[in-house]
Amino acid sequence: MEDDSRPLLSSEQTGEDYLQRDSTNSLDFRTKRPFHVERKNIINDGPQETVSAEAAVLNSRLHYYSRLMGSSDRQLSPPDHVIPQPDEIYIYSPLGTAFKVPGSDHTSKNPSIITIFAIWNTMMGTSILSMPWGIKQAGFTLGVFIVIFIGLLMLYCCYIVLKSPKSIPCVDTSDWEFPDVCQYYFGKVGQWSSLMFSMVSLVGAMVVYWVLMSNFLFNTGQFIYNHVHNINVSDSELETNGSEKVICPYPNTNPGGNNTISTLYLSDNGNMSDVNPFERYWSKTNTVPFYLIILLLPLLCLRSASFFARFTFLGTISVVYLIVLVTVKAVRLGFHLEFHWFDKTEFYVPEFRLLFPQLTGVLTLAFFIHNCIITLMKNNKDQENNVRDLSVAYLLVGLTYLYVGVLIFAAFPSPPLFKDCIQPNFLDNFPSSDIMVFVARTFLLFQMITVYPLLGYLVRVQMMGQLFGNHYPSFLHVLILNILIVGAGVLMATFYPNIGSIIRFSGAICGLALVFVFPALVHMITLRRQGMLRWTSAISHSLLILLGVANLVAQFFM
Amino acid sequence: MSSTAMKKKVLLMGKSGSGKTSMRSIIFANYIARDTRRLGATIDVEHSHVRFLGNLVLNLWDCGGQDTFMENYFTSQRDNIFRNVEVLIYVFDVESRELEKDMHYYQSCLEAILQNSPDAKVFCLVHKMDLVQEDQRDLIFKEREEDLRRLSRPLACTCFRTSIWDETLYKAWSSIVYQLIPNVQQLETNLRNFAQIIEADEVLLFERATFLVISHYQCKEQRDAHRFEKISNIIKQFKLSCSKLAASFQSMEVRNSNFAAFIDVFTSNTYVMVIMSDPSIPSAATLINIRNARKHFEKLERVDGPKHSLHMRMR
Repeated sequence: MEDDSRPLLSSEQTGEDYLQRDSTNSLDFRTKRPFHVERKNIINDGPQETVSAEAAVLNSRLHYYSRLMGSSDRQLSPPDHVIPQPDEIYIYSPLGTAFKVPGSDHTSKNPSIITIFAIWNTMMGTSILSMPWGIKQAGFTLGVFIVIFIGLLMLYCCYIVLKSPKSIPCVDTSDWEFPDVCQYYFGKVGQWSSLMFSMVSLVGAMVVYWVLMSNFLFNTGQFIYNHVHNINVSDSELETNGSEKVICPYPNTNPGGNNTISTLYLSDNGNMSDVNPFERYWSKTNTVPFYLIILLLPLLCLRSASFFARFTFLGTISVVYLIVLVTVKAVRLGFHLEFHWFDKTEFYVPEFRLLFPQLTGVLTLAFFIHNCIITLMKNNKDQENNVRDLSVAYLLVGLTYLYVGVLIFAAFPSPPLFKDCIQPNFLDNFPSSDIMVFVARTFLLFQMITVYPLLGYLVRVQMMGQLFGNHYPSFLHVLILNILIVGAGVLMATFYPNIGSIIRFSGAICGLALVFVFPALVHMITLRRQGMLRWTSAISHSLLILLGVANLVAQFFM
Repeated sequence: MSSTAMKKKVLLMGKSGSGKTSMRSIIFANYIARDTRRLGATIDVEHSHVRFLGNLVLNLWDCGGQDTFMENYFTSQRDNIFRNVEVLIYVFDVESRELEKDMHYYQSCLEAILQNSPDAKVFCLVHKMDLVQEDQRDLIFKEREEDLRRLSRPLACTCFRTSIWDETLYKAWSSIVYQLIPNVQQLETNLRNFAQIIEADEVLLFERATFLVISHYQCKEQRDAHRFEKISNIIKQFKLSCSKLAASFQSMEVRNSNFAAFIDVFTSNTYVMVIMSDPSIPSAATLINIRNARKHFEKLERVDGPKHSLHMRMR
């Protein structure tokens, strides 16, 4: 009975036809549109037709026309306006059920301004706190140039990442992200390595968050304690006089200067006998990181993190507040800039320093969005403006970073203090009694507490998905993963709370793969497959890869 | 008595790129040559070597090449081209930006027709209508039709709007063929009688070369309005497959427990398709009926020209 009702011409026959033809012409996907209409039972008055008559006869025409052409002719390929709308297309399972193709237009399309804002919001991270330190490490002039240069470089790499799924022929890449592109070009190696490097950036961010959260929690607690007990303790020997206090928390031996300042500095773990019991229980490196575990580990083990996605607005508010804070401080402190080009002075740093790779490492993480830019740009209403919107977003991010970095660096009161004192977290340069900074720290603390579980969720989804195929294999698996991540954070916060170094190392490592090597390789391979790879292009992209490697190597030596 | 006179032509003309070759390929099931996207106009006429409606040969010409050589050739060969024409089918591209020029060439073709074959039938196809927005199609077609009717006087032209992406192309060519069949009304009457005698659900009469449905009879309402075009496409695909093996398609029987369908050669110009929904009638019976009917229908169609009509004796 089944054999009797098979149609005269089934789609399998046309499939064989395609195989016999020259299959090298696969670039025109219009000849292989996924448009199939199921046969209809013409005898019985069966269930209602799920296929419109027009679609059925158009399908018959397509089958016929495809037999008339040579394989490389696209003359009789159906143009776009002839194919039915996506909501009229059905997918048939062999068991007879049919369901509609989910329209990709159901996702809301955002105007350009929203897309630009989303990119800015996502890119703005904790690296903003390290900008003044980074500029200090590279020297003021060189630092500004490097920010601009690295920003442009990473914009270009982001552009080629964004372009990469579009040049993949005859596969539907509409929901691919960059790791999928890597998998297409480099197989399993590409998939695993892009995943691993993506993990580096995420776990690096989580470790930085832990260090910063311990810092902010400590300072907040300190402030509240001092306020309640009306204590006026100076945090450091080295600080400015006047109403706007800026401190140098760890005045190291200043190379080249007449060091009249005592090298004794208040360490939280001081040998003094009169250490406050509060200070013993509320220590930035010894106890506070552990207190956070009680709060955050349960949050990490939650199955879904969608609750925390509501709080992304806190990040925007924090950045805006930081900008306001920086402006106010700069106005009050005034500018203290002196240009010493290559020589070291007591209070200032040279304009060009050899430590500039530290800034490039920080910037690689600061401008990093390459693992999710495709998803972010997908909902842009006018796709033709993608490049323009991306450039505008990078410009805004660069301006924000430059603004904060330059102003803090310039306003840092150098005659009493050394420019070298600028801390990797510039808020550390302000005493815990400063109200504006206290507010900033509280904001950032809340924001980080809400973003931390989101990051943990992303790590869990990607790792568990890759390793076990299931996003939540069992509570034990997830708990072990979370303990590992939290443990890394606590260790860093206890022994090496230098967020500048953590940022630059994780930035350089994940930037190597996802910013420099993979996009450049993918771009060159695409061009070569299209036969358009010129010598200049190949050389410049190879230089890009070398830059990425040099960036990473320099982090270890500088 | 068959005529050995010069074969009559069907001229398929139109501007280069208006879709004639695709149209011919689709209607006549020819493979499209690879060089169809030519940069220059046709220098020589393309013969299709198909016998169309018995004794007609399809000639395909590009009109209106910019090349002066092409113009001169066309002018000097004009009488040759336009002599003995039975049908002129002129294809207009609805998206053309040079309406004046198109009309000018069309008119010069009409003049040549008037001089050389004044009895020819003229059909105008406004093609590529799928490129026009749906709500504007009727309007634009009506405008063009009026212009063409006006320009074609004293000849009468029949206008169709067509697109290879919907059923309009098939229907337009079916109408053209219908008007070219001699004694078509008689054919239809006899077809109905034939169908009722053999107790068929539906009987279709196809033109042999193009499998366009000339006439049909159905005894009850059928669900699929597009079935003619679908059957036509299916059989043409089958013919293409057969030709790959240097075989030619002659007849087909499709049978299952619900119906039996027979496709067979009928007259020299036609094929017949008979659909029986009573599976108890053996195939042999239907085939004998078809064979007997063939003799009658042959007499309706004499090969010596469409102008003659014969009476058929009804038994």
